Parts: sequence; C-alpha cells; structure tokens
Amino acid sequence: MRRGSSLHYLSIVAVAVLVVLGIYWIVATAPEPVLRDRMLVIPGGWKRFLGVFALACGGVAAIAYLYGLATRPLRAGRYALTMGTHVFMWVVILLVFYPVVYLLAVSFNENNTLATALPRVGNLLVRAGVIPDPADVSTVQYLKVTQEFHVLWYQVALFALLVLAVLGIVYVGLRVRYGGMVPGRADAWRGRLGWLIAGTAAVLVVSVTPDQFYGLTADGRRLPASIGGMVPLYIRNTLLVSGTTGLLAVALATPAGYAFSRLKFQGRYSTLLTFVFVQMFPTFMTLVAVFYLMSRLDLLNTFTGLILAYSGGAIAFSTWIFKGYIDSLSPALEESAMVDGATRFGAFLRVVLPVSIPMLLFIFLNQFIGTYSEFILANTLLVGQERWTVGVGLRNFTTNQFATQWGAMAAASVLGSIPILVIFYSFQNSLTGQHTAGGVKG
Amino acid sequence: MALVAAVAFGVLAVAGARQLFPGTPAYAGLLAGLVALVLVLRWFSRRFAWLMPWYYLLPSIVFLLTFTFFPVLLTVGLAFSDYAGIRNGELNPTTEVQVVAVDGTSLTVADPLRLDCEDLRDGCNGVRAVVYASGEVEAEAVAVDGATLTLAEPPPAGRQVATVMLYLPDIGFDLEVRVVAQDGAELTLQRAPPSAPELGTIKLTLDRQPVQVRIVEERGDVMVLSAPLPEGLEAESMARYNDFGFVGLRNFRTIAAQASNALFPVFGWNVAFAFLTVIINVAAGVFLAVLLNNKSLRFRNLYRTLLIVPWALPSVITIQVWRGFLNQNFGVINRLLALLDVGSEPINWLGNHLAAKGALLVVNLWLGLPFMLTATLGALAAIPDEVYEAARVDGANAWQSFWGVTGPMLRSALVPVTLSSFAFNFNNFNLIFLLNDGGPPVPWGTATARGTDILISWAYNEAFRSQGGYAYGLGSAISLIIFVITLAVSLMNFRVTGALKDEGNR
Repeated sequence: MRRGSSLHYLSIVAVAVLVVLGIYWIVATAPEPVLRDRMLVIPGGWKRFLGVFALACGGVAAIAYLYGLATRPLRAGRYALTMGTHVFMWVVILLVFYPVVYLLAVSFNENNTLATALPRVGNLLVRAGVIPDPADVSTVQYLKVTQEFHVLWYQVALFALLVLAVLGIVYVGLRVRYGGMVPGRADAWRGRLGWLIAGTAAVLVVSVTPDQFYGLTADGRRLPASIGGMVPLYIRNTLLVSGTTGLLAVALATPAGYAFSRLKFQGRYSTLLTFVFVQMFPTFMTLVAVFYLMSRLDLLNTFTGLILAYSGGAIAFSTWIFKGYIDSLSPALEESAMVDGATRFGAFLRVVLPVSIPMLLFIFLNQFIGTYSEFILANTLLVGQERWTVGVGLRNFTTNQFATQWGAMAAASVLGSIPILVIFYSFQNSLTGQHTAGGVKG
Repeated sequence: MALVAAVAFGVLAVAGARQLFPGTPAYAGLLAGLVALVLVLRWFSRRFAWLMPWYYLLPSIVFLLTFTFFPVLLTVGLAFSDYAGIRNGELNPTTEVQVVAVDGTSLTVADPLRLDCEDLRDGCNGVRAVVYASGEVEAEAVAVDGATLTLAEPPPAGRQVATVMLYLPDIGFDLEVRVVAQDGAELTLQRAPPSAPELGTIKLTLDRQPVQVRIVEERGDVMVLSAPLPEGLEAESMARYNDFGFVGLRNFRTIAAQASNALFPVFGWNVAFAFLTVIINVAAGVFLAVLLNNKSLRFRNLYRTLLIVPWALPSVITIQVWRGFLNQNFGVINRLLALLDVGSEPINWLGNHLAAKGALLVVNLWLGLPFMLTATLGALAAIPDEVYEAARVDGANAWQSFWGVTGPMLRSALVPVTLSSFAFNFNNFNLIFLLNDGGPPVPWGTATARGTDILISWAYNEAFRSQGGYAYGLGSAISLIIFVITLAVSLMNFRVTGALKDEGNR
C-alpha cells in the first residue's frame, strides 16, 4: 500500500466504528442492575468491564498502529505502544485520583452520614453510590466546620491578604507564560510575594487563640465548639507546631552542617558517625521514654514539649543534607570575606547563609511537611482537645463513627490538606528531587 | 565538662527556685541550664581556641543528647523496670490509711489492705510513703493586736498553724481560734478574742503535715519506717507512692511467655508487611517509571505531576479517609466491587484479618507509589544515553537493552531506596494505627497484639492503652527489640551504600 493512501484512513474509520459498536453492544446488553446487601449489582459486571477495557485499549492501539502505517510505517509499532501507554496512564491516574475526587465530592455534599440510603434516581454510578448525588451538592459541611469559630476582623484582613498574595503569584506565572514578563523580574516578584505569604500566614497562625472556639451560653458559661467546629483550631495548632519545628531544624542544623563540612577538628568523623547513628532511632521508637521525660519536665500537653520532642529527630537528617550542600559550595566564598577581616562565624552568617537560602527553605519545608503528618507523638503528648493537631482531631471523627460525621470529616480533611498540597506543588521539584537524592545518599 | 556543669546548674536552680516559689515548673531547669551553659562556654572559648568548631555543633548536640540520645538510654533503662500506669512514681492518694498507733519507727495501720501493695514488686517493703501528721507545740506569744497574734519566734519552718488555744482570764476559759493566715511569727486569727488573752506560753495546733518516709519492712499491719517521725508530730494517716524499680529480665520473660500469641505472629506479619509492601511498591514504581521514561511520550510531565498527588496530601489525613472508603456496608470500595459483581458478598475489609492485611498493602501502594515512581525516574534519568547508544550499536533490541542496561543500573540505584523504604515501613505506625488500629482481634492473638498489629503498635498498645494496663516498662522492652532489628537493617544500608566511606578518608 502507498503511504497515506485513502485505504489506510478507511481502515482507521472502520476500526473506530467497530470498537464503538462493540462497546455499545456490551453496555446495551448488560442486565438490569439489582440490589443486593443494600448495594447495586450488575450481574457479571466485571466481565463486561474487562471487555470494554480490552476493546478500548486494543482499539486505541490499533488505530495508532494504522495511523503509523499511514504516516511513518517503520514506527507504527512504537505508535501503538505509545498510545497504549497513554491509555494505561489515564487508567492509573483515574485509580489514583478516584479517592481524592470522591473525597472532594463528599465534602461538597449535604449528606453527613456514610450510611445514607442509595438514591433511586439518576445516573447508574449515582444510584450505585460510587459518586455522590449531584442533586445534594452544597457547602454545608464547610460551614459546619467553620461557623463556630469567632473570627476577628484583622484575621479576616490577614486572610484576604494571604489570598491576594497567592493570586499575585498565580498572576505573575500567567504573565510570564502569556504576557511576556521577563523571568528575572518575575522571580523577584515571586520572592517578595512568597515572603509576604510566609509572614502573613505566620501572623495569622499566631493570632488565632483557643478562646475563639468557645461560645457563651445564656447564663454566661463557656461552651466549647463541637468536634467539627474545632477543626480550624486543629489546623492552626498543626501549622504552629510544624512551623516552629521547621525553624528550629534550620537554626540547629545549619551551624552543625557548616562545621562538619568546612572545619577540620579532632573527632569530626566520630561525631558525624554519631549523628547518623542516632538518626536511626526515630523519636517515636523511644515513645515511652519521651513521655516519661516530658512528664518529669512538666511539658506534657504543651506545644513546647511536642516541638522539643520533634527537634531531636529533625536535626540529624537536616544536618546531613546541609553538610552535603556546603560541600558543593566553593570555599573561596567565605575565604574572601575572611581576608576582608570577617570572622569565620561572621562569614558564615553574612556570606554562606544568604547563598544557601534555597537549601534552608528546603530544610524548613521538608521538616514542616514531615511534622504535619506526624501522629504518634502528638497523640501521646497532647491530651487536651484545645491542643490537638489535625491528625489527632480527625481520629476523633473516625472513632466516633462515620455514621454521623462523614461529610464534616471530609470537609475537615480537605481543609487540613490544602496547606501541604499548596506547599508541595509550589516547591515540587526541590521537594521530590532532594528527597530521592537524600535517599540515594543514605 | 561544660555540659555537666550546665546540667548540675539546671537541677540546682530548679531545686532552689522550688524552695522560693513552690510552683516553679521543672522545665525552668532547662532554661537555667542553657543560660549557665552559655556563660561557661564564653569563658571557655577565651581560654581554649581549639574548642571553636564545637560551638557550631553545640546547639544540635545538646538537642540530640536531650531529646534523642537520652530517651534511647532511658528506653533501655525502662525496659528493665516495672514502670506502668499503676507504678508511675507518683503519690497514690487512694491508698491513704489511718494510723492507729506509733511506736518509734513502727506505725500500726488500721487496714493494711488499703495500702494495696500487691501491685508492687516486693509488697510494701522499700516503698516511699507519706505520713500525714499533726501535732501540738507550745510557743511564746508576745502581743495581740485585734485579730493579729505575734509569737516570740516563728513556728517551725514549713509548718502551718491550724489553731491556737488562748486562755481568757476575764471569762475564765480556753478559747480555740482558727488561724486564717500566717506570716513569719505573725498569725492572723479568724476573729479577735473577745477579751484580752493571757500571753506567755500558749498551745499551737499544727496542721496536717506530709512527712516523706520510706517503709523498710512490712509486718502484718505494722509498717517499719526508715526513720522515726519528727518530734511533736502525731501520725494520722499514711499513703504510699506508686513506686517502680528495676525488675531485671521480667519484661522479656513476659514477652517470651506469650511468644506464640504475640511476639511470633506480630513479628511475622511485621516482616511480611514490610517485605510485601516494598516489593509491590517497587514493582509498580519501576513499571510506571519505565513507561514514563519514554522520551517520545507526550504529557509525561503532566502524568508525573498528577500521579504524585498522594504524596502531596498529608498521609495522616488520607489514611483516615481511606478508613471510611473501606467500610464494609457503606464504603465506596465495596460499592465499586459490588457494581462490577466481584465476589458474592461485601468484603469485611476492616473486620477480617486477611482482608485487612490486603487493604493495608493496597492503601500503602497508593501512598507510596509516588515516592517510588519519583525515585525510579531519578535513577533512570541518571543513566547516560550513551550506554543505550552503545547497546544499540552492539545489536541489542529494546528488550535486551532493558534487561542488560536499565535493570542492572537501576538495581544499584534502587537498593538504598528499597532498604530505607523497608526500614520506614517496618515501623509504619501511622498506617497500621490509623487505618485499622491493628485490628481486627484474632483468636490466637492477645488484647494488645491483634490481627494486623506490628511491633511498634504492639508496644504502643502495651504502654498507652488500657487493655495493656499502661505497662510502660513492657512497651520499652518491645521497643528495645525493634531497636536491634532497625539497627541491623540500617547497618546493612550503610554497608551497601557506602554512604560514609569517603567521609572517613577525609
């Protein structure tokens, strides 16, 4: 056949029609779904699903192959493989995303119980309960977890500033892509807005107090908010603890990492070895001892105690990473400053630290994200509900039956995930890259 | 040396401050120690210049010693003790029992069972206790002004005067008046005496005073103390401390005694879980990464960014959400399976131990895939194109170049990732605890070691759960076992990666 002949295109159309017809036939002849154990069942559904899946994959691959034959016959096999890969990737993405999307849908649904009866009308998937009923979409769950929180006017203002700054960064990104903004200027703006976001978020987190989560009854008694109503406080607590731990990690690890990398002294290697050795014992393994220590120091149920407990685990890894970073810098940098009369510590503060801001940011964020997801120490050391972190607070939902709080829990989960999601995708390359590099290094 | 000085100073400062302000919290000692440390160090740095590098390390060393190294040592110590909820070192007020007779160092108590010493190591022998005593002393009164009575010298240090007995010569009887406040030698009475009392020698009743003692011997209802009570005090009642102490290998004997119910099944599942989850995650990660590494694949960066989302969400939240998805009757997983007619009845994901184990592996795949994918992609990107080029020149097809080039080069890059992932999952408390809390209970297990418990969650249950009786010592003993295993895995990791090899030669 001649390359690109009409016969090729005809066969592509024929295959496409066949595939569509086949899928239609499989779907159309499916038996009526029946209810069994309160669940909707399509008898023999998995066979039909596999059939549709195989037809779709095979069809796409065949069409790609035929298209390849028509355009570049030598690469036709590769075309089919690539298109098959695309289909496979989308299936994997669907599987990975399904829980996330479902969670989001539940949080925007007015049903608050997991045990709500299946809807009788609507799409097959809606009736089967595998996607929440679009007829029940509402923001009531978010209102439920935020309305018992007495917000102060300046907190609203700070929050608005925060949102504006985030939008500003998005705007800068769009300008670079479509408005022809110079990348250098864009980076400068991003830096300024980034500091603004960090500062505003810090002030906002510190300004929220537990008192804002109490109401007054008619006779003047203090009434705490419900489990769900405390969620913003849990998020604030988690941000506070994670942020402080991150700062502590940076403050402690940078001088140590610098000394390990640059200074020559007796006992350097053995100390380094001790750091790495100690790092093998995550703090939660010594949970009983930490609990004992904190109870003796009167630091149970305080953020200070929790942050101190985290700090031990934070140091070794951060020091190791920072040491590796300084190793990669040229010593000429500080040496020239020291020739100009600076002390070594002065050179470290004024020359080395400003150069390593991206690294400091990585150490901070890495510690921040790690601490945000920590559960066992927080659960053991924090007893009072006012001090709970997100993980401990959510645990209260799951142990108190989903039957009553499923929607509110979904809303709380979404709200609690947003800070980490935003940070992670903002610094995706540095966070994932360094992490695996650290892993490869040991 | 400076550290020793700082620690000593911190302890002393707290002890001193407690004398002056009884409410001083113990962590004030940390602050005092820190201040002392800075001062001592400034002095040292003037004297010994070679100490300078250590100043950079000092903050982190102090934190590491206090909050990582010290707890490790403490864990080792506690593993050989019977520290527990009922032996937590605190005073136990519910054991308070009346003292009916005192003879030198021997106290006869009304009901020795109230002291409840069976829970302790050796009955009441060697246990710290508090004797509450009151007493009457005679003192010299020098002046009365309204309701204020001034004594010649203040009452014995630390003693609260409860009442004073005043003789009123005008009326001719003894009046007992309560003391509402006490400031040195000046006592404020509840009310002014109705007429002038006789000064000179008066009787003071001292309030209930706690006296710290140690019981050295228990003889029926007689408790022999290490020292007699102070003069002029009459014992009213006593209560014991929840003392704990060294018990040798008893915790390890307990573990060995229930090895077939707890240690072996838990350890077996722990190793199996870590192995299976690493194998599954690595297999899936490598497969996807090899597909995504195809340079002619469009949107590969988009796919990578999308697939990473479980990593970008806090696992402490997502695991708990998965718990809802896995609900037997209403969870979305079972609804999906039912819709496709898989299995004849809904799977009890969290109630059947095999299904729960499967659910843990699946959820951990969802959680861990992004990391494995990213790590593998990084390793693949590090393989230079020239190697493939050379393979092609030598006549290798795609399949051969994958097994001959990609495979071996990936393996050396992925071994450290695999080992650290194994070490992480070996102690993956968050997943086990938050998804199914180590459950469901199984007939061959115990209340603390259930169907999917791993070593660390078993230790947690023993130490911090009522079904384990808050057995902190036993929990520490289990932690010690985990230490040994983790140490072995980590040492292997270092040996394989040679992470520290070049450091030693510098």
